[in-house]
Amino acid sequence: MVATPLIGRLSFAGSQPVPDDRQTNALAGKLRAVTDLTDLVERCKAGDGSAFREVFRNHRADVARLVLRMTGRPGDLEDLVQDVFLQVYRSIKDFRGQSRFSTWLYRLTVNVVLMQRRAARSRPVLQGASDDAFGPDVHDLPDDQLARTRRVAAFYRLLDRMSDKKRAVFVLHELEGLSPSEVAKVVCAPVLTVRTRLFYARRELLEMLRDEPALEFVARELRNEQQSESGEPLTEGEST
Amino acid sequence: MTVERRPEERALDRMILELREHPAPQLDWDRMEARLMREPLPTADRAPRSFWSRLRLPAVGLIAVAAVATIVVAREPAPLPAKPTAKLHDAPLNGDSLAVGTRLTAGNQPLIVEHAGRARWTLEPHATAFVADAGEFLTVKLENGALSAAVVPNPKPETFAVEVEGTRVAVHGTAFRVERVAERVQVDVSEGTVAVEPSGTHSTPAFLLRRNSRGNFALDGKTGNVEGNASAVVADGAGRQSHRTLAKAAAVPRAPQSALAPTKPEVSPEPSAQVQPLPAQPSISDIEKGVSSAVDLMSRCFHDQTRTTDNRVSANTALTLTVAGDGTIQSVTFAPPLAPGVEECAVSGLRALTFTRSLEGVTFTRLLELSR
Repeated sequence: MVATPLIGRLSFAGSQPVPDDRQTNALAGKLRAVTDLTDLVERCKAGDGSAFREVFRNHRADVARLVLRMTGRPGDLEDLVQDVFLQVYRSIKDFRGQSRFSTWLYRLTVNVVLMQRRAARSRPVLQGASDDAFGPDVHDLPDDQLARTRRVAAFYRLLDRMSDKKRAVFVLHELEGLSPSEVAKVVCAPVLTVRTRLFYARRELLEMLRDEPALEFVARELRNEQQSESGEPLTEGEST
Repeated sequence: MTVERRPEERALDRMILELREHPAPQLDWDRMEARLMREPLPTADRAPRSFWSRLRLPAVGLIAVAAVATIVVAREPAPLPAKPTAKLHDAPLNGDSLAVGTRLTAGNQPLIVEHAGRARWTLEPHATAFVADAGEFLTVKLENGALSAAVVPNPKPETFAVEVEGTRVAVHGTAFRVERVAERVQVDVSEGTVAVEPSGTHSTPAFLLRRNSRGNFALDGKTGNVEGNASAVVADGAGRQSHRTLAKAAAVPRAPQSALAPTKPEVSPEPSAQVQPLPAQPSISDIEKGVSSAVDLMSRCFHDQTRTTDNRVSANTALTLTVAGDGTIQSVTFAPPLAPGVEECAVSGLRALTFTRSLEGVTFTRLLELSR
């Protein structure tokens, strides 16, 4: 294992003051994780199935979360996550380590989702399938959870109406928490372009919010809160 | 100084927070992992490619496209339809997750459905079908349009069937296409053999269609006409069967698809008085008899050549036999290979095995599970 010499090298790098034990341990932990991941990727490239299994287990939840946020359709989730890992399987030999593995994985996931969406535009209609994207079980939820699930579904509908480019940067930045420069690496676009797309994505969503009753309700609620705090009369229809 | 945000903006922020906190649904990770681990992992043993070698693949692609275009322009349209085509990015639907009765309608693109390890079928654009049986014997009812299927060879017969009204098209390992054209059923076979029979009858197929043959049948599956490498098999009143083998595909001038015809004369159920020529391929029953002998032989070899104490030993392999026209076995393939002793024993025994004579011979694959 090559982890030990690397940890030593990092701990004493540059002209920084010598870190205390806690810092050293944190850095060592971080580096060990990076080294382990590099090692895993190398083993995958060499055809080691157990290494791929570990990559799958470590990253499947992140991939599933991103896919769901990009599509908003739990029904497609399983197939898409599997497609992503099939792509990882086939392409990991081409991963040169020039970006972080997570960035590479994000890019691959976004590409798989976008390809699926393009294909889906002329896709078959599955007759008899439930329209409720979050499954029939949602009706068994308590009221507040049901309302929340409906709001989430409504918000996904809005995201679905946005262009692929705007939705991708919005999801990566606002929901996944990536910085604009990280998003730029994932979508292979300049940072300025990413910022512009983010601005327009947000503006578009604000516009669309008014058309979506489940979400307009949230805005009205907030508006009424604001008005009641300032002593103004409530908005029509919201006094009850 | 604080800037008061509009309620809409705050609503958007609240939704973003809710979405961030919304948990992803749980998936069947174990099943997915098992499926993924079936694929062999590609290794990175390639040397870095030079500029010219990078150009090689696109160049070959361009040449191939040009060649295909030339052939298409130069030739008459082929009578048999192409194999199912679909864009690579069209991910197949998981057929195993479709409940019985699920109706599928293809849009402008073909819809691919895959039953892992069993069959892959493609609903051509605007066709509609539903799953009639999702168990061991997969059955798809085609309501309109066309459906192409590729079925993984299986020792059990008729593990996949397409039904159109009262016509049942049942297969072993094969690739074929079924189309409903008005009140007729058009069947084209590109690989293997399919039996066309009335729905609900599994014992006596009315027609057998082999590679590169086609047939046009009534919706009840009882009458039809066949072209190419096909046979009509009709039981007479006494229960005996008569076989009438039609000419080989190459000898039959192919009619263009539009001329294929409900108006053509139906195949006569009367036995031919002429001397019967050799069949193009051994019949399914001949093949199954041979397979049964081969399986017995393999089991004996596995038992004799595998040393064990108290442990149970088992092996799975796909046995592919190529049978020559004179009925002798030309080649034997085991994938994955078995122990050398088992293979030697099996090959020496298989040499003695003969099938009925035919014009073309046949190649078939059976999945075997050997244990002792």
